[in-house]
Amino acid sequence: MDEDDPKEYRWETGYEKTWEAIKEDDEGFLEASIADIIQRAKRKRQSKKVYGTKLGMMRHLYVILDCSESMSSQDLKPTRLICSLKLLEGFMEEFFDQNPISQIGVIIMHNKRAEKIMNLAGNARKHIKSLKNLNKTTLVGEPSLQNGLEMALKSLKSLPTHASREILIIMGSLTTCDPSDINSTIESLKKEGIRCSVIGLAAEVYICKLLADKTGGVYNVILDDSHFKDLLYQQIDPPPAACGQESNLIKMGFPHQMAVEGTEEPLTMCMCHVDSIDEGSKLTTGGYYCPQCYSKYCELPVECRACGLTLVSAPHLARSYHHLFPAMNYKEFAYENQAEICSGCQKQFTENEKEVYKCPNCNNYFCIDCDIFVHETLHTCPGCATNSSTFQLTQTG
Amino acid sequence: MKMNNIELPAEQTPEFSSVDETSLIVVIFDSNPGQKLLRDNPHILTHCLDSIIAFSNSHLMQKAQNKLAVMACHSKKSEFIFPGSGKPLDVRQIDGQYETFTLVEKTIKQNLAKHLAGESPMLNTESLLAGAIAMALCYIARLQRSKSPGCMLNSRILVVTGSSDSAMQYMNYMNVFFTAQKQNVVIDVCALDQHLSLLQQGCDITGGLYLKIPQLQGLLQYLLWVFLPEPPIRQKLVLPPPAKVDYRAACFCHRELIDIGYVCSVCLSIFCKFSPICTTCHTVFKIPPLAVKAKKKKIKL
Repeated sequence: MDEDDPKEYRWETGYEKTWEAIKEDDEGFLEASIADIIQRAKRKRQSKKVYGTKLGMMRHLYVILDCSESMSSQDLKPTRLICSLKLLEGFMEEFFDQNPISQIGVIIMHNKRAEKIMNLAGNARKHIKSLKNLNKTTLVGEPSLQNGLEMALKSLKSLPTHASREILIIMGSLTTCDPSDINSTIESLKKEGIRCSVIGLAAEVYICKLLADKTGGVYNVILDDSHFKDLLYQQIDPPPAACGQESNLIKMGFPHQMAVEGTEEPLTMCMCHVDSIDEGSKLTTGGYYCPQCYSKYCELPVECRACGLTLVSAPHLARSYHHLFPAMNYKEFAYENQAEICSGCQKQFTENEKEVYKCPNCNNYFCIDCDIFVHETLHTCPGCATNSSTFQLTQTG
Repeated sequence: MKMNNIELPAEQTPEFSSVDETSLIVVIFDSNPGQKLLRDNPHILTHCLDSIIAFSNSHLMQKAQNKLAVMACHSKKSEFIFPGSGKPLDVRQIDGQYETFTLVEKTIKQNLAKHLAGESPMLNTESLLAGAIAMALCYIARLQRSKSPGCMLNSRILVVTGSSDSAMQYMNYMNVFFTAQKQNVVIDVCALDQHLSLLQQGCDITGGLYLKIPQLQGLLQYLLWVFLPEPPIRQKLVLPPPAKVDYRAACFCHRELIDIGYVCSVCLSIFCKFSPICTTCHTVFKIPPLAVKAKKKKIKL
């Protein structure tokens, strides 16, 4: 471990007096104060987002899930495995919502072996289905971190260099049983520029920390299930582009309906369901046609099975734009009657208001709820967007 | 007291539904005097306003729990004209009309007059509808937060506009559409004058209705028939068929709709031809894949 690493071991960090941060409100409840702490943490993370950094937008992520004996432990309710699967389901949905042209694959580690559950693919529904099936896996033996990493590495190696390649490991076990030296695997991951992040469910493990450190990922150990969720969801925002990552122009197709005015579209089958067993293909009219080979698909985004062209629609790309052009961060001010109402939600500011938030661009004041809503969900400042002199500034910088 | 009818969800009628459902409409009225429709014929404003007031009152009449907000959208500022800021107006019953209706009409007219009077003589033709929708979403988010547990709040936004939508607001539009989709807010659009392709996409994304009305005279009829029924009821009605939305992308270089394009892996800009440098983020691309792809293309052709 590097000597100059400022982060100490978890058990060495200073005593955090969390109880001092919690204060009762007028009625003696703690909830308001806890909500306050959460909101503050959200704001802090938000303010770290820097404008104009190059991001890895086309992500290829392998989730490596520990399915060893240690995952049956009941410190997360009902068990570590079930809790992880539940959170992963939400994670997948949110991930594809925020990164529509990205792909996820799933690998599990059990009995010293790695097993690929899902190949890299971009369909949230299929992923969630396969995650649900994992419920029944038998949790046996020890995990092998090296085998898991090697399997992901083999698959990620062949991808084009413009893609952001990542591995996310959810590790319940404190040990790993590897066939050879794991350090060489870490070296080759580093060489390939694959970012590995680890979420530990038990306690800090040296090799995981080393792995995350060397490959530019993050390593965290959870405190409880809500902290687990928080850590997992942090992986949803696209990471800064790896320095070795090349940029490229990628050929993409934008399918549109073929319908000619006045004529009925013929009944056809779609390519996505044509060979699936459980969900047979149905004859339908309408759908999306690949502009290159005219194969039909019922969902976008998808990679054309016939000619390999990536098919997307314009809103899919637009969904990712907010990562590149985030709304400006608001500045915090103590409330001194600067404004009567919040410029977003029209809430009347009262004496109870502690802080108000000002947009540096349009100089409007907002309440804390709007501040979080604007930066987490909306990504457009309502003050800037309603004024013709400022609405464009938010986009061009 | 009088506001109670609108602001508070009523607690009775358990025999009809097990959950308390409240339906909120935020009407965004584009009253920008710079838009072509109003410049040509300023009287239309009164006509539209009357229709919107009648529509709003019909919505409030359907259920005691229903809620309403009306916004005026301009190029410099968008404002809530109902419920306005500050104290509600003091209204008495006139001609036996339900007080809430009088209140709605008076508040809207008074606040809109104030809003129009504050408009600078330098007219801007573009109304910033995306910003108004963003404000409406913040407002809806607040009501969602403050509603009592066990209550259902179904919200929708109705945009009534005569101006055109420009690609300048593209990013803002997309952000509000996806947020609305996430928050389960339906966006309906009633176009008075021009076809609005961006807002049509928004309706499609959020599951709302888009209608370009053929006759301005019948605005109230269209509002009442098409936009008043709640989204779950709409499936049972015979409504104008949804138009096919064109989701093709426009390239950044010529603003033309394309079938196959090249996308920058760093900033996702779309180009219709291969260029060695991205004009948006100034990234330099490596050339080799071009040769391969160009070859492929030749064979295809």
